[in-house]
Amino acid sequence: MNNGKPVVLVVEDSALIRMGAVDLVLSAGYEALEACDADEAIRMLESRDDIDLVFTDVQMPGTMDGIKLSHYIRNRWPPVKLIVASGAAILEESSLPFGSRFFSKPYDDHAITDAMARLLSSDAPLAPTA
Amino acid sequence: MPQTPIVHFEAASTLAVVVSSNEPLLFLSDELKVIAASASFCRAFEIDPASVPGSRLGELGNGEWAMPKLASLLSATASGSANIEAYEIDLQRPNHKTLHLVVNARTLDDGNIDHIRLLLAVTDVTNARAEARLKDDLIRDKAILLQEVQHRVANSLQIIASVLMQSARRVQSEEARGHLHNAHHRVMSIAALQRQLSTSHGGSVELRAYFTQLGQSLGASMIADPDRLAIQVTVDDSAVSADVSVSLGLIVTELVINALKHAFPDERTGTTVIDYRSSGNEWTLSISDNGIGMPVGSDAPKAGLGTGIVEALVKNLGGEIKLSDAGPGTVVTISHQESAGLRTEVSTAA
Repeated sequence: MNNGKPVVLVVEDSALIRMGAVDLVLSAGYEALEACDADEAIRMLESRDDIDLVFTDVQMPGTMDGIKLSHYIRNRWPPVKLIVASGAAILEESSLPFGSRFFSKPYDDHAITDAMARLLSSDAPLAPTA
Repeated sequence: MPQTPIVHFEAASTLAVVVSSNEPLLFLSDELKVIAASASFCRAFEIDPASVPGSRLGELGNGEWAMPKLASLLSATASGSANIEAYEIDLQRPNHKTLHLVVNARTLDDGNIDHIRLLLAVTDVTNARAEARLKDDLIRDKAILLQEVQHRVANSLQIIASVLMQSARRVQSEEARGHLHNAHHRVMSIAALQRQLSTSHGGSVELRAYFTQLGQSLGASMIADPDRLAIQVTVDDSAVSADVSVSLGLIVTELVINALKHAFPDERTGTTVIDYRSSGNEWTLSISDNGIGMPVGSDAPKAGLGTGIVEALVKNLGGEIKLSDAGPGTVVTISHQESAGLRTEVSTAA
């Protein structure tokens, strides 16, 4: 937590969509960080310990897509909450780490901020992934 | 002189039939000696017709027909214990690409049980198999391309939606913000349709699923308190073409936005219902609410962009629009009768 504000990391390769997502996070009253791919996101997660939630795209250039990134984050930083959005075919939430939320693009801003609020307010320990 | 005297002589007509067969054929003795080969066989597998009579199957050409599996299957067929039906073999020859063959063998029965002969039909399916594989590849490529296109459309719609919402958050004017939000709803309406189409087969859209998604999307962004306002969808099993569904979806979007904005002031509770049913070419779409009802006379609001959009789309669909009191609330009914299109034509012509 930073000044009591939750910190949300937006991972998205499309600059305009990233800009919109950052604006959305700020308007919801959170602090926003941004990365344009999974590698940059991991560097940020390694360099600071105040990231509460990662909001990531699926298809991105680089070594990992958003699904691999979300599993990687769940394993290395278990408390970090996850939201995944994609324009590709409807994804099963079961292919994502336990407790993460999936939205298909174009997503509704209210649905995303609503999911962020719920995830950030739930401090329930995560069930171990099967 | 051959060491084994030929006991049986083949009828000239039988040999003539075999030799002239269009389908590659081999006429064999039960010891797999070639009695005759069709000209088509010799041509297809580059075998000198003069070398055929009297040679063994395994000696044909450069010995490429000496396939143990084929020989044992033919022997089994000759003895009556097996039947080669559509058996697949690969013919390998030096300096030739491998051919994929389908062989069929049967014994010829002329009443003489001591005199067993085999007829082996050979079909080259190399090209057919390659074509089938190519077709499979093309179908797979097309599916991948389609997915890619859908992904791009979704991303493009996300960009537009993001920009509209950013603008809406920035503008000072309440009216401008309203317009931007409406534009956003229209984009999301098309997005819901796109999602529906990407999971549909044959390009038709099932309206119940589409309107349900549309209602959820509008509700999520316009209804702050779900205990106060609700959107209900009662739609039959109708499915329409993609372009008709665009119009219907946009009409629903405009009318639902209108109802949620104006029908329930002062924290009123209520429900907006999206209803659609069709029979043959006739259909009725209605959006009703149980709110305060439409003000009339001088209190009636000036027709906005939404009204213009709805009127244009209804006209496009050859429908008629009717606004009535639902007591309580308002119902907007758009109907399309079997003869409606015709009547419109007549009246415009007059």
